[in-house]
Amino acid sequence: MEQVLEAFELVFANPMVWVAVFLSATFGVFIGSIPGLTATMAVALLVPITYWLEPEVALAAIVTMVACAIFAGDIPTTLLRIPGTPASAAYADDAKALTNLGKSDTALGVALVCSVAGGLFGALVLMGLGHQLAKIATLFSAVEYFWLYLLGLSSAVVVSSGPKLRALLSLTIGLLLSTVGLSAVHSQARFTFGQPELFDGIGFIPAMIGLFGVSEVLKNLIDLQQDHTDSTEDRVGGENQNSLDVGRMQRFVYQPIKSVLGSGSELLLTRKWHALRSGGIGVLIGMLPGAGADIAAWVSLAVSKRFSNKPEAYGKGSIEGIADATTANSAALAGAWIPALVFGIPGDSVTAIVIGVLLMKNITPGPEIFEKQAPLVYSIYLIFILANLVLIPIGFLAIKAGGFIVRIPRRVLLPIILLFCVLGSYALNSSYFDIGTMLVMGLLGFVLERRKIPLAPVVLGLILGPPLEERFIQTITGSDGSLAGFLDPQRPLALGLAAVFALVWVSAIVMGIRQKKSNPE
Amino acid sequence: MRNKGVIALCLLLAVLSGCDRQDSFPNRPILLICPWSPGGGTDSISRHIAFLLEQDLGVPVNVVNATGGSGVTGHTRGATARPDGYTMTMVTVELSMLHWRSLTNISYKDFKPVIMLNQDAAALFVRTDSQWTSLGELQEAIRQNPGKLKASGTAFGAIWHVALAGWLTNVGLNPSDTIWIPMGGSKPSLVELLAGGVDMVCCSLPEARVLLADKVRCLGVMAEERVPAFSDVPTFKELGVDWQVLGYRGLALPLGVPQDRYEILAAAARRAVTSDAYLEFVANMGADAAAMPSEEFRRFLAKADETFGQIMASEVFSGVTRKYGAMFFPKLLLGLLALCFLGCLGIDRFRVSEDAQTITASGMLDLAIAVGCIVLYLVLAEFVGFIVTAAVLLFLLFWRLRVRWIVALPVSLALVPLLYQIFAVGLRVPLPRGWLSW
Repeated sequence: MEQVLEAFELVFANPMVWVAVFLSATFGVFIGSIPGLTATMAVALLVPITYWLEPEVALAAIVTMVACAIFAGDIPTTLLRIPGTPASAAYADDAKALTNLGKSDTALGVALVCSVAGGLFGALVLMGLGHQLAKIATLFSAVEYFWLYLLGLSSAVVVSSGPKLRALLSLTIGLLLSTVGLSAVHSQARFTFGQPELFDGIGFIPAMIGLFGVSEVLKNLIDLQQDHTDSTEDRVGGENQNSLDVGRMQRFVYQPIKSVLGSGSELLLTRKWHALRSGGIGVLIGMLPGAGADIAAWVSLAVSKRFSNKPEAYGKGSIEGIADATTANSAALAGAWIPALVFGIPGDSVTAIVIGVLLMKNITPGPEIFEKQAPLVYSIYLIFILANLVLIPIGFLAIKAGGFIVRIPRRVLLPIILLFCVLGSYALNSSYFDIGTMLVMGLLGFVLERRKIPLAPVVLGLILGPPLEERFIQTITGSDGSLAGFLDPQRPLALGLAAVFALVWVSAIVMGIRQKKSNPE
Repeated sequence: MRNKGVIALCLLLAVLSGCDRQDSFPNRPILLICPWSPGGGTDSISRHIAFLLEQDLGVPVNVVNATGGSGVTGHTRGATARPDGYTMTMVTVELSMLHWRSLTNISYKDFKPVIMLNQDAAALFVRTDSQWTSLGELQEAIRQNPGKLKASGTAFGAIWHVALAGWLTNVGLNPSDTIWIPMGGSKPSLVELLAGGVDMVCCSLPEARVLLADKVRCLGVMAEERVPAFSDVPTFKELGVDWQVLGYRGLALPLGVPQDRYEILAAAARRAVTSDAYLEFVANMGADAAAMPSEEFRRFLAKADETFGQIMASEVFSGVTRKYGAMFFPKLLLGLLALCFLGCLGIDRFRVSEDAQTITASGMLDLAIAVGCIVLYLVLAEFVGFIVTAAVLLFLLFWRLRVRWIVALPVSLALVPLLYQIFAVGLRVPLPRGWLSW
């Protein structure tokens, strides 16, 4: 108890913590809302500064920044259909569809409330069950990961609207593109045509910006051709239906808060169990060192669709889908800290950097930290809660500031988006080649979309392709070439995951056939 | 009217470019290329050195993670960078290995070494709950069950694999007596070790440091002498195996950097690695601080190159075979792609979506202009610089979309410099500077 009080003092009595939290929240929202700038990059930029900070201040800055960045990724996703971070790619179409209906405030409000709820849930799990859950994380070897990745990939097909075969085609394109470059397991170049730049493969961040951003710009250019009116009144989103004949206080303070936060909290309260399920999925996937917030969002969305009353709305503006996916990707962030604190194994790239920062301060994460540095551990818990609470006002302001974008005429906005696409794809690796990748993927996305092939599975294929192949080769090398290695009776967890995978596909095929029978077009 | 705009643009740019010091070195941000991803040991050392150099030189030193290709990408970019002293590379042991595996032509001869930062010896780890408590026991187990035990640590043929194979050869075993499971790095290998997927892991001591408390046991380190931060770990030599493998990290410049600039950077690097802040940092990390000046580093690189050349050519590696080649997985995917494609073709011939507009000739031109603008940026930005290129392209697109110039001009002129300030100054993204050298 004394240690908890000490932690309270460390966090709340230190003005530096408050300064760090507010500054990094603002910075995080900014980074997250610019496609191409990732939370990992932001944390890496912060590392030299943390040298001068006390450990709890440094941790407060990192935790807050990442939590805010993952939420802020939803802002460009919703308004422009360019995912700000890969964790938002799963529901890009849903969010943009709502913006086109003039409901961007509702979509972002739900994303904000659910992100906060997911973050808080994750923090509570980290506090209460961290030690027990960490043991699960160490049960995952190559073969378990192989099945988990297959499940993740399947979710892209499950959540897609329209014919499943097209989603599978899109997924395969993504997987195939991911094999370009030096194969990590073979150290052998494939499809590189002797170009050293291609050794690194096709980066999924520039690819994502191209597939969603550039293709959206190109599509809008074509749409602009159709209306020859010279008016600049043409906007990206529909009009928000705010009535103007109310008092100033009503109009500028009460109504915006209600329109953004009200619908979100209402939805959350009516769907408590769904939120718990999504949070649980987020924490479990987030704590695995080989999977993170992006996969958590996909799987949660797929589960959400599977058990939804109106699965047909998914992909066309489902607010429930957005709620479940944003809950999961925020909950995953806290999940990543479970193995990091308990064993010193990073759960994602951010916690990898955090462990480096802690080591630099002569604090060794792992079992000892709970005995020797208990107040610090408690202060991490408190920081997680604080960070998610701070996200509410900062996120609200960001949504309101972002709403400004939808009011810019389309003719002015399109060239600026294109410039941001160029900047964003260059920012990650400072490579011109990435800009080229973005352009090619933009054209590919444009063509695919015209032919009703969904784009999001391409991104998931690009993200999961390399680890899937790695785990496949590792498992089959370990079992000396026999496929029995994938269903090793000594690894019950792998068998379980394989069974779930089989179930998902069998039920998808059965449902597909039943649908065909009930309405033969 | 448009002419006036162009003149105003040129004037503004000329004024803004006036504030530059051309005479002193360095007078603009320096790039430090790190061939490995954020979060790893090389990245954190890079960022520390960058931070210390920044304070010493008085200009920003920005770390760029040019990852991928087992280090090929980063090293190639560093060696082929413009030799003006504004691009440095954190070279790692892969520089001595990649060209022997014909993955690249780049070798230590393409770099001018500045300083060596540290060396990490390979070490061998098993789970604490495993039955092997000493190197001898593990050796005996491999001898009894050839081809049964699994090992990992890094990719196939990379540094820790070389270390393990060399040890086995040294004690009269065949490297293929253990199965090497290729992994992305030491972190996933250690996770796999804990999960029971492999039986031993070969990597450096600092990489496994946090797990040494109770999860893994170190059987020995492949160094001449014990590592100070891990003084209870015996060396292989003490255990009767005369085998050492060391990875290294160091700073290097591309060939052709002017001597005076080189000396400024080398002196700054020397001051950085002898500073208290750096020594404390490496001590906390568990790495050693055996900094080595440039001439000595050069000789060291030449020797390392020769040693690794011998190892990679020796039977140690010719004895190791692989079953599932690099094209196995892509072929599988190609088959799946063909199936999906034929399926979709059979269902509705990829009908164009109902809500997609038809593309008119002028629409096609719009598309071509948008694509052309990006291509133009790719071609021009490096020479002309970000500000001029981006402003011109933005203006061009506005013009094409019939945005009135009273909107287009101020937006282009205000937005582009603002973006430059945010990205290049605030977020350390090295945007091309070009003519203006802002």
